Amino acid sequence: MSQNPAPDAGTPPDAQETTQLPALDTQVAAELAPVIEPATDQTGVQEINPVWVYSGYWGPLDEAQHPAIIGLRAQFGDAIEEVTFFRDEVTVRVRTEQLAEICTFLRDTPDLKYQMVSDLTAVDMLNLRSEPRFDVVVTLYSIPRRWRLRLKAGVREDQPCPTLTTVYAAAGWLERECYDMFGIVFAGHPDLRRMLLAEDWDEGHPLRKDYPMRGYKQYVQPGFTGAAPRIRETPREGA
Amino acid sequence: MIQEAPAGGTMQIEVERQIGENRRELVLNMGPQHPSTHGVLRVVLTLEGETIVATDPIIGYLHRGVEKIGENRRYSQFTPWTDRTDYVAAPLNNLGYILAVEKLCGIAAPERAQYWRVIMAELSRIASHLVWLGTHALDIGALSMSLYCFREREDILDIFERFCGARLTTNMMEIGGFSREIPEGLTDMVEAFLKKFPAHQQEYSDLLTQNPIWIARTRGVGIIEPEAAISYGLTGACLRGSGINYDIRKAQPYLVYDRLDFEVPIGTRGDVYDRYLVRMEEMRQALRIIRQCLDQMPTDGPLMLNESNYVIPPHATVLRTAEDMQRHFVWVIKGFEAPKGEVYMAIEHSKGELGYYIYSDGTNTPYRMRLRTPDFVNLQVLPYMAQGAMLADVVALIGTIDIVLGSVDR
Repeated sequence: MSQNPAPDAGTPPDAQETTQLPALDTQVAAELAPVIEPATDQTGVQEINPVWVYSGYWGPLDEAQHPAIIGLRAQFGDAIEEVTFFRDEVTVRVRTEQLAEICTFLRDTPDLKYQMVSDLTAVDMLNLRSEPRFDVVVTLYSIPRRWRLRLKAGVREDQPCPTLTTVYAAAGWLERECYDMFGIVFAGHPDLRRMLLAEDWDEGHPLRKDYPMRGYKQYVQPGFTGAAPRIRETPREGA
Repeated sequence: MIQEAPAGGTMQIEVERQIGENRRELVLNMGPQHPSTHGVLRVVLTLEGETIVATDPIIGYLHRGVEKIGENRRYSQFTPWTDRTDYVAAPLNNLGYILAVEKLCGIAAPERAQYWRVIMAELSRIASHLVWLGTHALDIGALSMSLYCFREREDILDIFERFCGARLTTNMMEIGGFSREIPEGLTDMVEAFLKKFPAHQQEYSDLLTQNPIWIARTRGVGIIEPEAAISYGLTGACLRGSGINYDIRKAQPYLVYDRLDFEVPIGTRGDVYDRYLVRMEEMRQALRIIRQCLDQMPTDGPLMLNESNYVIPPHATVLRTAEDMQRHFVWVIKGFEAPKGEVYMAIEHSKGELGYYIYSDGTNTPYRMRLRTPDFVNLQVLPYMAQGAMLADVVALIGTIDIVLGSVDR
């Protein structure tokens, strides 16, 4: 028995769709990459080492060349509100009502195939802008293209966000967590309960910016009479 | 029979229900204090006989609000918290966070530090897989596996201890590289481990791979179809066991992975046994990667980036020059102000895709810190896998996802 190695570990998949990857378009992508200036040296004495290298993992950094943005603009027009680039990342701000249709389009278009949702979360923009309060952030991944894409949709406090559970099964728990932490209601979610907090948690949603770091209530340890030690917190400007 | 709701609670669980003539459904609560749930996972199972009808994993018993803490700490202060998310693979968590911050700031570590980062990441991957193998086999009934696996893990923890002084919560990676020189004798320790480990892994393989009991308990159990694996967003061995070729080290290489020659094992059936084979092979490939790193690595050169905005100044010059002393003081007391923007940096963790999403508003703390942990997303597939399975298979199914509750609950 000891002479037998593990049977078929390491064998490449035969005739898998995922093995026939199109050649990575990094050449074009690298040409379109912005030149990142090296961080300036305050003392002017030391030599600066090489900076972070542009990777091309999110597709070309040009609206006119990125196939996903071309496709989305052709299909949805005004629903694509803004496209921003930072480092090598591509962020598309879309109209909230059409988020699910846009994801379905990105998933099913043959030369895009953003079939995987890497991450779904939200950002509370309370201190940064007035309306809408939240940004729902969806990071998609395309296995054949090997690209990521980030979608952003603004959500007001009283406004439900359309659910993505009809498009991606992974959205189920991610949206539940988002609801738990931010109080964003996902319309059409089949099972929108608290995810990480207790189901009878009555203190709101902790990742909102107006939620205090240590919670609203003072929890006293039984039998402990002294003052609780407090960690000094860094106050944020405007918070 | 309706159980009385506990005082203050809102949930009413119907414990037993008649669903037809001679057919009953039973609700069984498993955990959170159950030895085979790998921590504080609670699973509410609905059974008909011994067949599972529905599964509801309930998590959050270890929730500490790591994301909220990250938003209230300076960038350099958050690294120790990443140790405590997935505590069996702390260097990998450090690495993901540090790479995200470096991407946000637009800096990169020197070449030699990158090689050492890869070595530590791969050692950590082996250590994590050893814990997985030991506990997974223990759940299924192979008690001695856990003893063997923890024995070899000890060697890796010794290497970590020599490298950074800590064994479990390492806080190993720093923004810009490593601020201390590699300790003397560390290379020899890694070499000794590389020499010793393949024989030990053959032992595990001998004990399990052809073992009829192991095969009976794992083959054909918990099958995940490739389409479902993609839709559920699975990553790591859970996805590759189903035949999908997605490894971030190959698909979107970071550090020096594009210079290293290694293979990505892919399963064919997508069951518990395939995921076992995939992880076993990943350990062998990790050894190959470490071997190549030791051979290719430049013998000398800087370990720490010499950069004035985002990186802590070298210790030697802090004690000699006034500028560096001031920089050091400001870096420690105030931190640095990262550029405005948002980054999502994903690395291949031992359990799958570990992503850090940082939204920066230009201050010295992140405005939003998001941890996309692999096991949180992977655990979601448990109800799908358990549908129609036997009650005794649940421990195998939980084990095969490879969860660490600190990382699931954050």
